[in-house]
Amino acid sequence: MLYREALNRAIDEMMAADESIVILGEDVGRYGGSYRVSEGLFAKYGPKRVIDTPIAELSIVGNAIGMAIAGLRPIAEIMTINFSLLAMDQIVNHAAKFRYMSGGKMTIPLTIRMPGGVSRQLAAQHSESYETLYSAIPGLIVLAASNATYAYYGLKAAIALNDPVVFLEHELLYPLEMEFKEVDTFDPFKAEIVKVGKDLTIITYLKMRYDVLEAVPKIEDELGISIEVIDLNSLRPLDMKTIAASVQKTKRVVLVEEDHKTGGYGAEVIAKISEELFYSLDAPPLRIAGEDVPIPYNRTLELASIPTPDKIAQKIIQWGRKNGL
Amino acid sequence: MDYKIIMPVLSDTMDKGKLVRWRVHKGDMVHKGDVIAEVESDKAIMEVQSFKDGVVKKLLVKEGDEVPVKAPIAIIDTEAEMAQTEQQKQPEIVQHPKEQSTSTQKPKAALKEPTPTAAVPPVIEELLQTPAPKLAEGDATPAAKKRAAELGIDIKGLQAEGKLPKPAHLKEIETEAFRHYFTPKALRLLQEYQLDAKLFTLDHKINAAEVENYIKEYNIPKTVSLSKNRIAVMKNVQNAATKPVYFIFEEFDIKEYEGIKLTSLLIKKLATAMQKHPLTRAKLEGTTLKIYPHSNISVAVAKGDELYMVVCKRAEEKSLQEIDAWVRGLKERTFTADELTGSTFGISNLGMFGVQRFSAMINQSDVGIAAFGAVQNGKISVTFTFDHRVLNGVDAALFVHDAKEIFKGDDNV
Repeated sequence: MLYREALNRAIDEMMAADESIVILGEDVGRYGGSYRVSEGLFAKYGPKRVIDTPIAELSIVGNAIGMAIAGLRPIAEIMTINFSLLAMDQIVNHAAKFRYMSGGKMTIPLTIRMPGGVSRQLAAQHSESYETLYSAIPGLIVLAASNATYAYYGLKAAIALNDPVVFLEHELLYPLEMEFKEVDTFDPFKAEIVKVGKDLTIITYLKMRYDVLEAVPKIEDELGISIEVIDLNSLRPLDMKTIAASVQKTKRVVLVEEDHKTGGYGAEVIAKISEELFYSLDAPPLRIAGEDVPIPYNRTLELASIPTPDKIAQKIIQWGRKNGL
Repeated sequence: MDYKIIMPVLSDTMDKGKLVRWRVHKGDMVHKGDVIAEVESDKAIMEVQSFKDGVVKKLLVKEGDEVPVKAPIAIIDTEAEMAQTEQQKQPEIVQHPKEQSTSTQKPKAALKEPTPTAAVPPVIEELLQTPAPKLAEGDATPAAKKRAAELGIDIKGLQAEGKLPKPAHLKEIETEAFRHYFTPKALRLLQEYQLDAKLFTLDHKINAAEVENYIKEYNIPKTVSLSKNRIAVMKNVQNAATKPVYFIFEEFDIKEYEGIKLTSLLIKKLATAMQKHPLTRAKLEGTTLKIYPHSNISVAVAKGDELYMVVCKRAEEKSLQEIDAWVRGLKERTFTADELTGSTFGISNLGMFGVQRFSAMINQSDVGIAAFGAVQNGKISVTFTFDHRVLNGVDAALFVHDAKEIFKGDDNV
């Protein structure tokens, strides 16, 4: 199943089951969505439930919040997370705080889908990963879908939640064919142990999952170790239980993220590990992240600015040798 | 302060509990650990305790009532007791359930709002309350310092002597500790039996006898990795077990010759019989049979723990003496891949161990195998295993009949 098909199926099935669910955003209707996620939905559910909006992010989210207050269950699509900055006030000051400000009397069952990350040469203003911003906001739930299974079940869960969810997708994943696993019980807040290992835990999310998995065999071979890989799935809340169990076992942790290193989401994860699992650590934690520069347009420089499987392998091997692995 | 006692979660499947009996009344004084009620889960009747001191302010459910888990069942007023007892911080039996939405907007029937089960509350407060672990001094990782303190390893001292690297890691600390507490022989035993050294109290030198006692007491198995040969044999016999086979039991006359090994004679005789029966020289490939001109016989050869099916090629062309020389050479050498392939029929002989009769598994893509037992009064028992896909009963019977005649005579010898 294609990643975008999984998202489409999730929205379609939820809309079929509950007519209070609507979607709105730029080009989500007649055009079928910039990444074809809402393909076919306009024809099926009509212009009242699949709403094409003007290019005005603040109003997309603002309208969606109004709909949510009035009893609908909107799914807002922001074309890329880079444009979500325009909607920041509605997301942070309104969607995230409404339940609190109303003393729990009102909830905002809103899902905001945001594609993000470094795609191919979209340049600095269209290549950011702002998960670190939204993960720092109390009142928001932040989910990050790296695969078709989580895209499908995670998005369904996000729509069903009574609180606002920022649902992160990665632009390079949409056209990828992925294995889809049917699951009986699904917990959107649980991290996935992608691969079991005993000497080192690599924590990652979104597209970096694939770069990590590509690098892992080489690292295992070079260092003669076995590596555990965790895909976080949920960035807020963070599944510290799964992380703790793994780090207590392996005693070593590496975090791989595409976002800039300084203030990136990984900094928070590593800080929590240092606070809560300090005496389990047998090596200083390592962060492998994007460089602290605006993402370059030039393809060579673009790749130089983010982790790649080769760089991940090289850095972990170097770090491992230095730290007794 | 009001302290609510809640219906405890007594099993994974429990969603409601029945209040069977109250053990206290309103106004009763209770102490931490006192049983206040009996509840029935879907499995058993259990007691519910109070985790705080106080006075029963209110009983919220009647005996016989069923209430959802985590719902409050009684209120204890802890202030009433405060005057006498110092307030103690005690963990509550269950964390309070996640805040319930009081929203007027209920999700529609088709939707079920997920609840975060994996998410855990911040544990910083808890961490601050638990004392920091004892740490050894020296240049080492946090995990290594903690472990060194537990094991009584002086990192600083050993680093000064150059016996530990800087910084020291967990593995080096444990290796050092185990060297310190175990004799070399005991350490080898730990390794062989994959025992964790932490199973032993590390306050004295532990010798092999102590480890052996532990192994015997707890019936610990020794873990032996399978050899490449064993894995290959497993694959071969597992494959053989999927073949549709049947057996023919016979007794052949046999005349042994001075200076010639019995196995050599068996190979020679069988090779001659195979020449008359093309199906014994065949190999099944999909829906075709490849019938080979030569009698290539796989011979079971045991070398220590290892088992090989070595192929005696063109056995029908070789003299008995040539075959005997080949058989005698087997024990001394290793085999090339070419020598282990290309057969169509097999021989296994366990007669030298006094085995009367046995049956054998067909090797790789062979169509059959002859299992020979011990020679008694000029006779040898043999069990043939045939692959029914290639040879029908009649084909096999004719082959066995001819083989029997050949074994009788002195032909080809």
